[in-house]
Amino acid sequence: MAAITDTAPVAPAAQPTAKASPLPGRLRKLALALILPVALVIAWQLAGKDGAIFGGALPTPDRVWKAWMLWAFGNPGFGLNPYAGTWMANVIASAQRVAAGFALAIVVGVPLGILIGWSKTVSALVDPSIQWLRPVPITAWLPISIAIFGISGLGAIFLITIGAFYPIVINTTQGARDVERNWIRAALMMGASRFDVLLRVVLPAALPSIFTGLRLGLGIGWTAVIVSEMVAVKSGLGYVLWDAYYVGRMDIVIADMVSIGLLGYLSDRLIVAVEMTALRWRRMQSFNQ
Amino acid sequence: MGTIAFSNVSKIYGGTGGVQALAEVDFHIGEGEFVALLGPSGCGKSTLLNILAGFEGATGGDVRFDGGGVTKPGPDRGVVFQEASLLPWLNVWDNVVFGPKVQGIAKPVYEERARRILDIVGLSQFTEALPVQLSGGMRQRVGIARALVMEPRALLMDEPFGALDAQTRLSMQELLLDVWQKLKTTVLFVTHDIDEAILLADRVCVMKARPGRISRDIPITLPRPRSIDTLTDPAFVGFKAEIMAEMRGAHH
Repeated sequence: MAAITDTAPVAPAAQPTAKASPLPGRLRKLALALILPVALVIAWQLAGKDGAIFGGALPTPDRVWKAWMLWAFGNPGFGLNPYAGTWMANVIASAQRVAAGFALAIVVGVPLGILIGWSKTVSALVDPSIQWLRPVPITAWLPISIAIFGISGLGAIFLITIGAFYPIVINTTQGARDVERNWIRAALMMGASRFDVLLRVVLPAALPSIFTGLRLGLGIGWTAVIVSEMVAVKSGLGYVLWDAYYVGRMDIVIADMVSIGLLGYLSDRLIVAVEMTALRWRRMQSFNQ
Repeated sequence: MGTIAFSNVSKIYGGTGGVQALAEVDFHIGEGEFVALLGPSGCGKSTLLNILAGFEGATGGDVRFDGGGVTKPGPDRGVVFQEASLLPWLNVWDNVVFGPKVQGIAKPVYEERARRILDIVGLSQFTEALPVQLSGGMRQRVGIARALVMEPRALLMDEPFGALDAQTRLSMQELLLDVWQKLKTTVLFVTHDIDEAILLADRVCVMKARPGRISRDIPITLPRPRSIDTLTDPAFVGFKAEIMAEMRGAHH
């Protein structure tokens, strides 16, 4: 043991990455996660009669699966089944809108949040407006969206941007307000300009909050894309959802809902993966690694 | 270079009728001098340091550094904080080169400087480590390195070893004596530890609280270079007795 020299690190610097959880542990987690959905599907299937439950209102899982497969891989052929083979195109249409609207919300929300958190003047100027616009639900923006953009994907992007903007800007603001005073003092002492402080201290220090905002914002983004496609766009999962309901294709409706859930889940995982990499320092500080 | 002058400095928190943290502080630090501010918590010693660092403004009086008025923080006054206050997302190397980098100093120049200073503080092997992976003592070594790499004219240290265990504190005090012997930078060192103040400083300024002021300025004439052996020197014990008497008096 080094007595007076004190150069023994708490954690070895050579292996700073957190240990990947061993395979059996991961399998166990996966198994636990699957219990509820599998049980639900089995119960639903068993409760059905002649491929339907609730007196024919909803199809059983096997019918949903069959419809989904046809929707995903079927041959469009001569238009006997208008959904056959169109799943991927609709998934891509919705995902692209979410990506575009979400990116726009980040580009506006993060810098604005940093400025609101940092400057009392900007805060006094902008924050009240944000706070009283925020209670307006995205659905209430639909008429304006249609009036401006008509029946088009741009309207969906507009709604996603608005919906994702609030949690991003609010969480970024909070993160920028909570920066430790001595980090800023240290940076100023080292000769940092105000811009350096914002970019090199406030922004990285706010990142944990920003990621919280991103995850909330992305969830709202998926809500917004479905709502606007149901009403004001002629493609995407939201459009198919409402269209299928109109023609009584509840099997497609359910397959569509499961697809939305999967996409939302996968896009959230993507953000979490980026967060894990970007906030390695933060993860190592926390108790629950 | 590195002269510090406080004349008639006062600090009141919370406007008129607020708490008087400092009252009519007058003192001067010469070039290359090592001065310790010693006193109980709440005596205004950190406030004094923060005013000199440019983190806080004085309510009254005049603070000068190398003859110029102090208005804001800057790399000419390197500050070492109590809990190091490193940027936790930057590794040791990036924390140390942060200052020179934002100041626009040429890369080959600051890289050479950073390597030399990391070598002096014994961290050459840990440049890739994040602050969270380091012990408290090592973190404070980074804090010192990050201040020294800017080649400041004065080093302002705010209870830098106060949070460390006794053994680590001794090793850090030796390190600081060693570094100061080489660089001879002006140092203002805030502490509540009597031994530490005597061991390190050329002068110990004892502070009283309510309102904060310097009650005595005691030159420490112990020969240099000093080491932790100095702590058991009879002359050291003499200074300790004198300062303890002063501090005890300061409480009544």
